[in-house]
Amino acid sequence: MSDLELSVAAKDTGHTRWLPAEWLWRAMLPIALVVLLLGFAAVDGRVLSPANLLNIAQQTSYLALFAMAQTVVILTRGFDLALGPTVSMVSVGTALAMAGATASGHDTTTVLLAGLGAGFGLGIACGLFNGVVIALLGVNPFVATLGSYNIAIGVATTLSAGRPVQGVPGTFSQIFYGGNIFGVPAAIAITVAIGVVLQLMLARTVFGRSLYIIGTNPRAAAVAGLPVKRILVLTYVLCSALAALGAIMMTARTGSGEPNLGGSLSLQAIAGAVVGGTSLAGGRGGVGTAVLGALFVTILSNGMNLTRIDGYVQMVVLGAIVIIGVLLDRLRLERRQ
Amino acid sequence: MDVDIDLKQTGPLLALRGISKRFSGVRALDRVDLDVRAGELHVLFGENGAGKSTLINVVSGTFPPDEGTFHFGGEEIRHLTPQRARAIGISPVFQEFSLVPSLTVEENLFLGREVSSRGVLRTREMRKRARALIDELGFDLDPSQRVDDLSRAHQQMTEIAKALLGRVRLLILDEPTASLTERETGRLFELIARLKSQNVGLIYVSHRMREIRALADRVTVLRDGRHIRTLDAATSTDGELVELMTGRKIDLLFPTIAHKPDKVMVDVENLTLTDGSVRDVNFYAQAGEITGIAGLVGCGKSELIRAIYGLEPMASGVVRIDGLRYEFPTPRRSLKHGIAYFPANRIAEGLALSRPIRENASMTGLDLPAFARFGVLRQAAERITIAGIMEQLQLRPPNIERTAGALSGGNRQKVMLGRALTRELTVFLFDEPSVGIDVGAKLEVYEFMKRLVEAGAAVIVVSSELPEVLALSNRLYVMHHGRVAAELKGAEKTEQNVLASFFRDHLAAEVA
Repeated sequence: MSDLELSVAAKDTGHTRWLPAEWLWRAMLPIALVVLLLGFAAVDGRVLSPANLLNIAQQTSYLALFAMAQTVVILTRGFDLALGPTVSMVSVGTALAMAGATASGHDTTTVLLAGLGAGFGLGIACGLFNGVVIALLGVNPFVATLGSYNIAIGVATTLSAGRPVQGVPGTFSQIFYGGNIFGVPAAIAITVAIGVVLQLMLARTVFGRSLYIIGTNPRAAAVAGLPVKRILVLTYVLCSALAALGAIMMTARTGSGEPNLGGSLSLQAIAGAVVGGTSLAGGRGGVGTAVLGALFVTILSNGMNLTRIDGYVQMVVLGAIVIIGVLLDRLRLERRQ
Repeated sequence: MDVDIDLKQTGPLLALRGISKRFSGVRALDRVDLDVRAGELHVLFGENGAGKSTLINVVSGTFPPDEGTFHFGGEEIRHLTPQRARAIGISPVFQEFSLVPSLTVEENLFLGREVSSRGVLRTREMRKRARALIDELGFDLDPSQRVDDLSRAHQQMTEIAKALLGRVRLLILDEPTASLTERETGRLFELIARLKSQNVGLIYVSHRMREIRALADRVTVLRDGRHIRTLDAATSTDGELVELMTGRKIDLLFPTIAHKPDKVMVDVENLTLTDGSVRDVNFYAQAGEITGIAGLVGCGKSELIRAIYGLEPMASGVVRIDGLRYEFPTPRRSLKHGIAYFPANRIAEGLALSRPIRENASMTGLDLPAFARFGVLRQAAERITIAGIMEQLQLRPPNIERTAGALSGGNRQKVMLGRALTRELTVFLFDEPSVGIDVGAKLEVYEFMKRLVEAGAAVIVVSSELPEVLALSNRLYVMHHGRVAAELKGAEKTEQNVLASFFRDHLAAEVA
């Protein structure tokens, strides 16, 4: 019978075959960064000026911190929508504490310590709240942090009566904004230092290892005896503490406590993490992906500012970037399977 | 097409020639041939990783072969998709369920092929057809129940019913009895006989000799992605099949274990679980012996050991470990008390599949100074320790940096066993230890248990495979409906007695 005879069937039927190889995925973002930068430069030469490049680096250092914070929770299949409002709340709290301490006649060191204490205290409290609600009470991270998003906005607005909080001492701004270490601006130096420490923590500590295992298979992690709940609470605390550090640095830059400081930061931080290649499915990502993603988002908004693209259009672009990032991640997961 | 299938009786229903499939460089199938005739039950037999699942995935259109030809009903098929496969009558039932947990049985049956008129679902019509199908299959299944409320066995029945809705010419069953009770298995076998008489071809994947004996017309043995031989079931022996599958002779499947019962390590008194799956159970296990727990699916035997380890909440009762009361168990505390648990479902509860074997094996030991000091991992020590352990367990290939997801079922179980060797343990709880692993790996798992027991550990084996618990255990508990129905030792430990204790219970229930 002729139809039983051999004929080599089509070889090109692999429906996932067109997806690029792993190394190409990794190279994609750096290539996109360069293309983006050159593209904007073609429209406006100022993009590549030394002053603007330094500006991009400074901007990135804030967003990179926030993207790292977001990455840490996303690694465990979590999410922190409340990151932006946390930043606002910390900014207001830090400024209020310092203004109060100055008014009651304390010396500069005490004033600074009061500010840092209030800032990190609020940040850690926020993270503890998120962590307890999510890990111990079992509320979905999206819903839990959507709730704390509103709580933090409410607190920040109430404390500040909706107005910038004045009275941030000049020394504070000098240290956390104006200062430099061997000529490297403070913001960049702090972010690099934190990035190195965080990367070491992720790769070399039991805590870091646990984040990846929990993100990959939370049930298996629990059966294997990892203290999953405790680790998750700590993860949200770490996330909010990093956000608080960023908030303190940004408050130093503006010189006042700003109740709207974190406005679009939640989305930007998520965009940074996701574009960098942190997987929303958990267990994949790190400091490198957060920094690259933050760089991408910063260059994009810097370029759009310089080429005078309307602010509302920029919001549309940012939103689209998050969705595209998630879709790319899914394609990548499909390719692996 | 106007050619009737019956006229084509001479040619096979399904004819695969020279099918090859590679996954990122690994050859999963290497020029495999397979014929399935209409009205025939064709068993695929082979160890895990032999290519059985790849082959049935190719047949059901999940992924295309890299080369080779595919004929179905005499026609050459190219670019097969799962949808098209169903349309031409190829219907697979996979081990991983394709059901939507939040939908009802009947919604799942009609998923993607809902009966509607002008966009409005004809619920009543669908319900009637679902009811009729389930009745015809003889399954004890309520079409209006949500799938996530069903036991695994009932989910399996739903899956089979789903595959049989519509016109089926080739049915693929992948270890269909793994979670069925004896009675349900009997029903399934009757159904298979009926399908065969209706000229439906069947591909049947199973490790169970008894089923192969009862059902198979022909058996195709696969090994390392190659077609080894196709035999007539009637004229081949068990030994021959196993030998072809493993490529070596296996004389004795169960090792001889020298049990030396010593002090009581696990002592359970009047244990009742919150969900009622275990009620008033008294049970003990001694060091130096294997204590078996047999029972049907859903009898509470898994829940019992899971509760000891801290995975199921207890309502009342006392658990003593090595004579000391153990309250509020959690996995972490259990490990510190020297108790290890090996889950039945290694994908869901055992492994982080995309992480390296090394991390999967050291997972339970991260609180020990051997793996970390002050929270900082000792990576070099970890590598050396885990490499040593996995070498001892004969992981193949011995590369501990591969992801756990790249491993076959048997090697995955070895990673789980490797975990237990990372710390000092005295009580080992095995939940269905040989599910989803091939004969060779089974033997290694049994040898592992033998070494543990002979070194003085208390080993508890929960299994739905009666021959396995009978052969391994020194003392055997039989559970039924959440209670201990019998405790058998020595000469009482026979298949008949185990089955009789189910039966006795049934009678008692009927009288009551």
